[in-house]
Amino acid sequence: MKNTYIIIAAIVVIVIIIGGVFAYIYASAPAKKSTSTLAAATVNGAGGTLVYPLMTVWQGAYGSAEPQITVNYNPVGSGTGITDFTKQLEDFGESDAPMTAAQYAALPSGTTALTIPISASAVVPAYNIKLANGTVAQNGLKFTGAVLADIFLGTITKWNDPKITALNPGIPLPDTLITTVHRSDGSGTMFAFTNFLYDSSSTWASQVGKPSTSPAWPSAPAQIAAPKNAGVAAAISETNGAIGPLEIAYILENTGQTSLYYGTVQNAAGNYILASVTNIAAALQAGAAAGLPAGNAAWTSVSIVNNIFNDTAATSVYPIVTLTYALVYQNQNYNSRSYAESAATVNFLSWIVNSGQSLGKGLGYVPLPANIVSVDDATLKLITYNGTPIS
Amino acid sequence: MQFKLLRGDTILKILLAAAALFIIGLLVALAVELYLGASASIYKFGPAFLIGSKWIPSQNILGALPFIYGTLLTSAIAIIIGLPISLGVAIFISEKLKSHQTFGYLLGTIVDLLAAVPSVIYGLWGILILAPLLRDYVEKPLHNSLGFIPLFSGTPYGFNFFTAGIILAIMIIPTISAVSIDVLNAVPNSQREAMYSLGATEWEVTQKSVLPYARSGIFGAFILGLGRAVGETMAVTMVIGNIPTITANLFSPGYTLSSLIANEFGESSGLYESAIIEIGLILFLVALLINVFARLLLWRMTRGTQVKV
Repeated sequence: MKNTYIIIAAIVVIVIIIGGVFAYIYASAPAKKSTSTLAAATVNGAGGTLVYPLMTVWQGAYGSAEPQITVNYNPVGSGTGITDFTKQLEDFGESDAPMTAAQYAALPSGTTALTIPISASAVVPAYNIKLANGTVAQNGLKFTGAVLADIFLGTITKWNDPKITALNPGIPLPDTLITTVHRSDGSGTMFAFTNFLYDSSSTWASQVGKPSTSPAWPSAPAQIAAPKNAGVAAAISETNGAIGPLEIAYILENTGQTSLYYGTVQNAAGNYILASVTNIAAALQAGAAAGLPAGNAAWTSVSIVNNIFNDTAATSVYPIVTLTYALVYQNQNYNSRSYAESAATVNFLSWIVNSGQSLGKGLGYVPLPANIVSVDDATLKLITYNGTPIS
Repeated sequence: MQFKLLRGDTILKILLAAAALFIIGLLVALAVELYLGASASIYKFGPAFLIGSKWIPSQNILGALPFIYGTLLTSAIAIIIGLPISLGVAIFISEKLKSHQTFGYLLGTIVDLLAAVPSVIYGLWGILILAPLLRDYVEKPLHNSLGFIPLFSGTPYGFNFFTAGIILAIMIIPTISAVSIDVLNAVPNSQREAMYSLGATEWEVTQKSVLPYARSGIFGAFILGLGRAVGETMAVTMVIGNIPTITANLFSPGYTLSSLIANEFGESSGLYESAIIEIGLILFLVALLINVFARLLLWRMTRGTQVKV
């Protein structure tokens, strides 16, 4: 009797497995033959983690458009992405911050690095505060750059500090200690956030210094650092009175979080803006209109945050936005790379800055505005293989 | 005769010796590679690196002391809490459940399963469940009632040395218990019977006969657990708060050597990268020193005992 049951169970399991395998084969079978002229090749990239979720979507969609080309992406972090690129280990590097002067100096002699913005994101002040009336503070608390700087400098320590209540009349902010949360690992999110604080507060600029992916955070009375956006989000949502910079994609993806809300930030025109896909795109548009360098020039000082910081005409832009960049060599013939690999790299990058942009919306990535895409297209035209243009 | 060279025993001996030498070679290669990677930092900072208490990579002010302190403190908390519980579990299963073999076997299997859970799982559970629970039901009551003791003086936020120590304790308990159970089970029954025949109580048998007989094996289990605590990375990173601090206050966020490497290696370059490799070298040496110290202790303890496991 017992054996019969086991046999029946085994048969059921086997049928399910075989059925699953057939369903899988059937689902993945109709891979369309590409009409493209590109030869089969593998494109390897490495860099920041910010763009990684979007990159996996791109890999899938590009894989059905050009099935003969395989794209691999290793999310090692922006710093390692640039180092590997400098050592010519990858087909493209990726970084959330533009290359620094020292990183440009470390490039092999005679080579030119091209910087290509491929996606963008925004950083929001996320918080979890139990108000004096017992309810939890919802989205939309108002912050200015100066107040955020004071909070992270440790000079504003309580939620009912006059500087915060003055911005938020009518909200019963409690006498709770502010716990600041930031990333424990280096991150482009922190670069954009400290860039904004650097512009907003001279005290921050003199105490903490230039924007950095891993800044020297001043010591605040209560302070936590957690790994990745997920760690920061968890630390905020588990701590009453916590505030921390969080990437907008993370908030938009996790709409189910019950104790994680985010505030508005005052822009140059004096308006308090709650980050959304529309006003982030507007910020990128305005920032790029202020001028971007040519793709083969140094991008070290490029900052959308700086470009829109004093742009009082941009009334409805969200002020803390950042680009993330792909890095490629202008002459693609290095480390005995083949023409096929070079052509595939250029084709992939061209595909992501044009066709790929709309795929990020569901994940909270903002499509690049037209004026940045046209800069990218011009940059991609500069790429050569032994002096011959590729695209 | 040439045949003698090919005798099975000789070949086996050579293969085994090669395997043993491979391990030694690996250890030496690891140490040399770490030293070479760290040499830029060692040359620049010298011994001051070990006692420096500030970590500001952008200004090249780098000191390892808060991280060494964090590693030692969290491991100590883990051992103080974890060791008695592990021994309790092991003694209960191997001594008290002798007559209920099925239940003992079931419990032993659960312990083995826990020992195999990946550390990132413990970390996720720690950040989402354990940290808030400990904060509300352990740390706050301790702070409110015993806040005058420096250990408990800070306001608890859940992400601190204490939580990291507790999660490490939870992680090493299965390791220490699993090995200790096997060691205790290996104690011959004649040891116990001899004591019973003298009219000893159950506890006296365990305390005076079984534990002394098994202590070198239990010590091995302890070393394994301590090794896991010192080297553990992800679970600790998620709950310790990652702020370099040296304080007696257990409710303050801290930082450990391995967490620092996990957090910052990816974004480092140049001297900063070299300093992080030196942190790795220090972690290697701390683990080595703990091991050597424990061996010496064990050697002192077992001197004069006739029987060994």
